Amino acid sequence: MKEHKVIQTRQLTESTFVIRLERNEMIFQTGQFILLGFNGIDRREYSVYSGEKDDFIEVLVREVEGGKVSAKLKRLKAGDTVQVDGPFGFFKFSPDMYAVKKFLFVATGTGISPFHSFVRTHSEMDYRLVHGVRFAEEAYDHRDFDPDRLTLCTSGETKGDFYGRVTTYLAEQNIEKDTNCFLCGNSEMIYEVFDILTGKGIPVSNIFSEVYF
Amino acid sequence: MNLSDGERVNAVLNEAGYEWTDNEEEAGLIGILACSVRQKAIDKVYSRIHKWNKWKNTKNLVTFISGCVLPDDHEKFLKLFDITFQMKDLPKLPEMISQYGIATPTHLKVGIDPHNENIEEFWNVKPNYQSGFEAFIPIQNGCDKFCTFCAVPYTRGREVSRPSKDIITEVALLVAQGYKSITLLGQNVNSYGLDKKGEEINFPQLLREIGELGNRLKKEFWLYFTSPHPRDMTDEVIEVIGQYPVLAKQIHLPMQSGDDKVLMRMNRKHNMEKYRHIIETIRRVIPQATIFTDIIVGFTGETDEQFDNTRKAMEEFKFNMSYTAIYSPRPGATSHRWIDDVPQEEKKRRLHVLTEELRKHNLPFNSNLVGQTKRILVRGTDRKEGYLSGHTEGKLIVRFAAENEKLIGQFVDVKITSASDFSMEGELVKTEVEVVA
Repeated sequence: MKEHKVIQTRQLTESTFVIRLERNEMIFQTGQFILLGFNGIDRREYSVYSGEKDDFIEVLVREVEGGKVSAKLKRLKAGDTVQVDGPFGFFKFSPDMYAVKKFLFVATGTGISPFHSFVRTHSEMDYRLVHGVRFAEEAYDHRDFDPDRLTLCTSGETKGDFYGRVTTYLAEQNIEKDTNCFLCGNSEMIYEVFDILTGKGIPVSNIFSEVYF
Repeated sequence: MNLSDGERVNAVLNEAGYEWTDNEEEAGLIGILACSVRQKAIDKVYSRIHKWNKWKNTKNLVTFISGCVLPDDHEKFLKLFDITFQMKDLPKLPEMISQYGIATPTHLKVGIDPHNENIEEFWNVKPNYQSGFEAFIPIQNGCDKFCTFCAVPYTRGREVSRPSKDIITEVALLVAQGYKSITLLGQNVNSYGLDKKGEEINFPQLLREIGELGNRLKKEFWLYFTSPHPRDMTDEVIEVIGQYPVLAKQIHLPMQSGDDKVLMRMNRKHNMEKYRHIIETIRRVIPQATIFTDIIVGFTGETDEQFDNTRKAMEEFKFNMSYTAIYSPRPGATSHRWIDDVPQEEKKRRLHVLTEELRKHNLPFNSNLVGQTKRILVRGTDRKEGYLSGHTEGKLIVRFAAENEKLIGQFVDVKITSASDFSMEGELVKTEVEVVA
């Protein structure tokens, strides 16, 4: 594991924040994750939030109650160091295909992280992002996405574009069969969306998932 | 993997002047090569070390632990064992023992080196093979796949491939010494070479080179590999196996679940469409191949319907063997954070259902072999008195009447006379060595 210095931390909500780290020449593909940890013992996986061309690495972290790593990450300040390993993972696509394929991104909570990296890296992508959260304040950095391509689903209040869960929203949508569907977040959402998509005729080979919890 | 590691530990300690004893109470040095895949194995480690530490009140005893150890366990083992080390530091073990009592940087190092630096030093240790006819060759260490049920990426570190020239040299040496069964080992054996980013041959190329070596040496042996990951199982691997006689026509392909959603939750990165394609390719290219698999039943959240998809997959693929495990959460693995919500009794029922499913199609498969003469590698005496047993190239168990133990470790031809669910019986037809009846 390599030591990376913290450049800055940015609080998005009371429990969610972005950590920006020195890049240290790490090469990754958008959609991949890294391990962050301390003392070689406590480590957790986080999808890369920043773009492939950024000269820093960012991750989006939600502090988990009783979490060993996220609590330590929350206390980090500029100049501190954190151990980084990676990148890993196969939640990615052939790089030359990003410009020519259609994409549907479905995320819950901090599951938006890899999609932030996708869009930051491949701004020309033909995508739609459906982001499910409880409250509108969890619309993490939505300004970085094209508002015409983004749907915020809020299940705890009516301030989003759609009041309800992402699954309810998606069930009502027409989705073309050749769309590449990327799902990231909790496994219950992924299970339900998988059923909705396959029910609409999307082949399993066009569905990619990254289970967070 | 631990068997192969153990052969290297044995070699290093022999070289340092230590003698093996089967009597635990007689030993002055006792070590454990741990396995963190299941909690039960780690629980046994704690039970053993508490016993050995009591023995220290009455005798001189040095203890060590290595192998597959999670960082949390490693920290606890530091207090319980005299020496803890990562397998890549094996060549330094005699030095650690000689410095026992002195805190050395190696055995005080907390945590796991995820990059497996210096793993080559471990691979260069010439092992004391436990068998004179079967050997295991590690070709790769570590895992980058991060299946949610598994802690190996946290215990063995990143995927690192051993140089192909060293692997091929070891295969050639073993074949020259008369070894008949050689197994290439790795956590993800078919992602071999990918970590070297073009500076090393890939897995099908490695198989091809060993196949060519087999053609040149003109000695009979079977080369196996375990475990491959379906994600990295290319058509090329299967085609190469079909092309070379020494590449055994037996493929172990872990399925883990027959349900796409469970596979997603397991983070397996393959789906049933991909798995089905691999099986169909094997059946088309190598119709005589046997196929083994690994399955986990009762994984977190596995519904009746999802389990039934696994049963249906077993029915469809007609595996020759399935190593089916009841799911248990392993500290360190991602799924340990999830609720283990399938009751133990239900997990046992599912295990039983799959065992019966396996039994159901094994019997007709084995029965079809009755009357055929099969090449068998004789591996030992059978439980049935007056019988020896071995396996076919496809690792199907066959026993036959013979008492001469000179046949152990040899290839023989056996005519299959009867079949049962998990084994067959036959008559000895031909041997390569002279046997006095």
